[in-house]
Amino acid sequence: MAELGRAALVVSLSLSVYALVAGAAAAHLGRRRLAFSAQNALLAAFASTLVASAVLLSALLRNDFSFTYVARTTSEALPTAYTISAFWGGQEGSLLLWLLVLTGFAAAAVRLNRGWARDLIVWVVPVFGAVSTFFAFLLVAVANPFATQAAPGDGLGMTPSLQNPYMLAHPPLLYLGYVGLTVPFAFAIGALISGRTDERWLVATRRWTLVAWTALGIGQLLGAHWAYEEVGWGGYYAWDPVENAALMPWLAATAFLHSVMIQEKRGMLRVWNILLVLLAFSLSLFGTFLTRSGVVNSIHSFTQSSIGPWFLAFIGVVVTVSLALVFWRLPKLRSPTKLESVVSREAAFLYNNLLLLALCLTIFWGVVYPLLSEAVRGEAVVLGREYYDFFLRIFGLPLLLLMGIGPLIAWRRASLRSLLTTFRWPTGAAVVTGLVLLALGAGSSVPGLIAYTFAAFVITTIALEFARGTRARKALGATSWPGAFSSLISRNRRRYGGYVVHAAIVLLAIGIAGSSAFDTVAEAKLTRGQSMEIGDYRLEYRTLDERIAANATEIRAELAVSRGGRDLGTLEAGKNAYTIEEQVSNEVGIRSDPLTGEDLFVIAEQIDPDGAVYFRVFVKPLVNLIWIAGLVFLLGSLITLWPDAREQRRLVERAREIGVPATR
Amino acid sequence: MTLALVLAALLAVACVVVVALPFLRDPEPVSDTLDELDAGDRRRLELVEARDRALAALKELEFDHRTGTASDDDYRALVGPLRREAASSLQDLERDGAAHPAVGVEEKGRPTGERTS
Amino acid sequence: MARTASPARLVIALSVAAVLAVFLLYTSIAGGGNPSLAPSELAGRSGEVQLAGLVVGPVAGDAHVGGLTFRLRDIGEKSGKAVPVRYAGSVPDLFKVGRHIVVDGRLRGGTFVAEPGSMITKCPSKYAPKQTGDPA
Repeated sequence: MAELGRAALVVSLSLSVYALVAGAAAAHLGRRRLAFSAQNALLAAFASTLVASAVLLSALLRNDFSFTYVARTTSEALPTAYTISAFWGGQEGSLLLWLLVLTGFAAAAVRLNRGWARDLIVWVVPVFGAVSTFFAFLLVAVANPFATQAAPGDGLGMTPSLQNPYMLAHPPLLYLGYVGLTVPFAFAIGALISGRTDERWLVATRRWTLVAWTALGIGQLLGAHWAYEEVGWGGYYAWDPVENAALMPWLAATAFLHSVMIQEKRGMLRVWNILLVLLAFSLSLFGTFLTRSGVVNSIHSFTQSSIGPWFLAFIGVVVTVSLALVFWRLPKLRSPTKLESVVSREAAFLYNNLLLLALCLTIFWGVVYPLLSEAVRGEAVVLGREYYDFFLRIFGLPLLLLMGIGPLIAWRRASLRSLLTTFRWPTGAAVVTGLVLLALGAGSSVPGLIAYTFAAFVITTIALEFARGTRARKALGATSWPGAFSSLISRNRRRYGGYVVHAAIVLLAIGIAGSSAFDTVAEAKLTRGQSMEIGDYRLEYRTLDERIAANATEIRAELAVSRGGRDLGTLEAGKNAYTIEEQVSNEVGIRSDPLTGEDLFVIAEQIDPDGAVYFRVFVKPLVNLIWIAGLVFLLGSLITLWPDAREQRRLVERAREIGVPATR
Repeated sequence: MTLALVLAALLAVACVVVVALPFLRDPEPVSDTLDELDAGDRRRLELVEARDRALAALKELEFDHRTGTASDDDYRALVGPLRREAASSLQDLERDGAAHPAVGVEEKGRPTGERTS
Repeated sequence: MARTASPARLVIALSVAAVLAVFLLYTSIAGGGNPSLAPSELAGRSGEVQLAGLVVGPVAGDAHVGGLTFRLRDIGEKSGKAVPVRYAGSVPDLFKVGRHIVVDGRLRGGTFVAEPGSMITKCPSKYAPKQTGDPA
């Protein structure tokens, strides 16, 4: 069956090339049937990629070790769920997943928009074709998932740390994000080539960008949670290039989501928006290049895998061609309106963009600096955690504050006097919070205290906005307060959904500040019966158990936890020794306090033969707010994404006014 | 192995058919030109977008005023220019509509390919 | 319109200048990071560096009591000089002979004394295995 998979990928490649060439020809010459044919090619490419994916998936589920890929990433004993996740666990399979999502999104995006934006779509199709050609080419010529061999008795198995529920969802979500960013990019390039620099490309891609951005955000949070629980060093983010690879496009996409609002309301920043979406897309390609090429793993050689140079070349082509197009269309992109005041919502959005970009570029610099310094000086110089933490604070804290300021400023112009009135309550709340926290001892970390104070400011702003909005709707004639509240949100989905997302970011900031600026750590070597103390917790090491599980030997130290004399139950921490993979993994014990949101985090670092265990214990205040923030973030995104019948009608109306068929 | 080849061949044929479909369905079309927005349509689109922006800005200012984000002074200062902008964009649209009446809009299915005006 | 150039451009220019200023200030104060070296390049280097290499046995000692001792050789070399390393602090569970690791510290009297807790194992499958040809 491997031949079927291989053939299907060749078909996908051919179809992608056709979509590129025929699509471009059809757009240039204005041929209707050829244009539809190219659109169909995208759909057919999805179908053939689906066939290839089905072949790989069935080989995985059948434990068919004659497929080299299957033998390398799974084993007989591997549970089914993780066998499925092995699809995207290796280089070739993850590229196939990328192509599958890409062709699927391309076909859907084109199909959904071809009725009302036909002259734009004709140029979007070849762009999708080009990107799809690249990935299909990699799969056919460079990283073939369907290589075969003489089937060994058993596979090599999956890295134990990947056998975790979070790793089931984390890569696919990230891919939805990375690939999803291709859609606004393709539409932007299509708009540039066709000269249709009106807002249709923004309107068509708004929800796609939101979905991609949400998926990327949730995917990263899941990854952080995995790192926290599974890798278990006590943290959740290590500023590792692989982590930064997902953060950078997310930051660029966040900036883009904000600045498109300026273009929609005021027609400004057209060039800026196209450059931003180009940046986001390029960073997503760069991100996947970082994780694949071996740049991360080897400190010294630039690329270990052969796939790296291909990605770099593609990124180079994308950036060069896109910038050339922008330069060519620059006259058409001039906007009629100007920024009227540096104290206005537009200006606030602009500052937001600048801060987000500054943070994004600082991280980018930190990632490429070792590579650059090696190329220039022959010596790779690595920038450490302090570098990233410093710039996260310098740019992140003002961003946090800005989230509270932006909504309170009117568009175009706001007088300073009106600002003083609107900022009264939030500032008061922030000052009070700051003083109270200072009295409680939060002065030990100045950035942490500032973060909390700013968080109080923003939370008050958001609460006030909801309150004032509900009151305004009630005054307009809503029947009840809950009715006013729900009609407020349903009539202003983007605004209030956005506020919910801001609230999520505030929770995230509080959780990060609490768990990194105000945490405590203690270490001790305990024999059975001994105890240690940390904060107001007391842990007593009771027993050491050894269990045999399906594919590992599990060793667990059991600890009795108490606080202030009150028994809080037991906690287990230890290690798993995986038989086939011959690896040991850390299994930490975490006790989350439902009231305070803090975690008691226990690592059994070293287990001696005589049963003495070296423990490293953390108390991490408020860390669970980070995960709760993920849920709030999802809620906010859903509200913003929710289809709006009113908006639909308006678009249909507009199409009729211009004289374009309004079919979908 | 042969099963794989047969399935692969079927897949290839199916894809070719899908790609050729527009040509197979309509072998002798009245017109094969792409239905595009001409200069008049695009100008109209820009005017429509400008009008929608102006009206939305007014609506948002009203909302901001009602919720207290925009103070009375700010509101008074901004509402005048916004109303003038909205009025002028409406006028531009009317003028454009009078000068270039839109003809023969196809409401369902694909356009016939004939574009007048 | 008598309006001059949009304040937006001025704002952007000032912000870029501000960001660069902050950046330069930081790098001049906090330094530009540590060089990352292979064990063979370590000889004679003083100052804090990051050492990246292949773990070579014998591994002895206790990382929490007295320090763990092992040796590091250049990645990709089958034989050759290996630098003795003394390490205290948390040991990642992927650590074993034959792994690639990264550790910060400085050379003192022939032995590389590591910063406590600075060891990172560079296993290809650390985040998600994308590497072909590397043993798991």
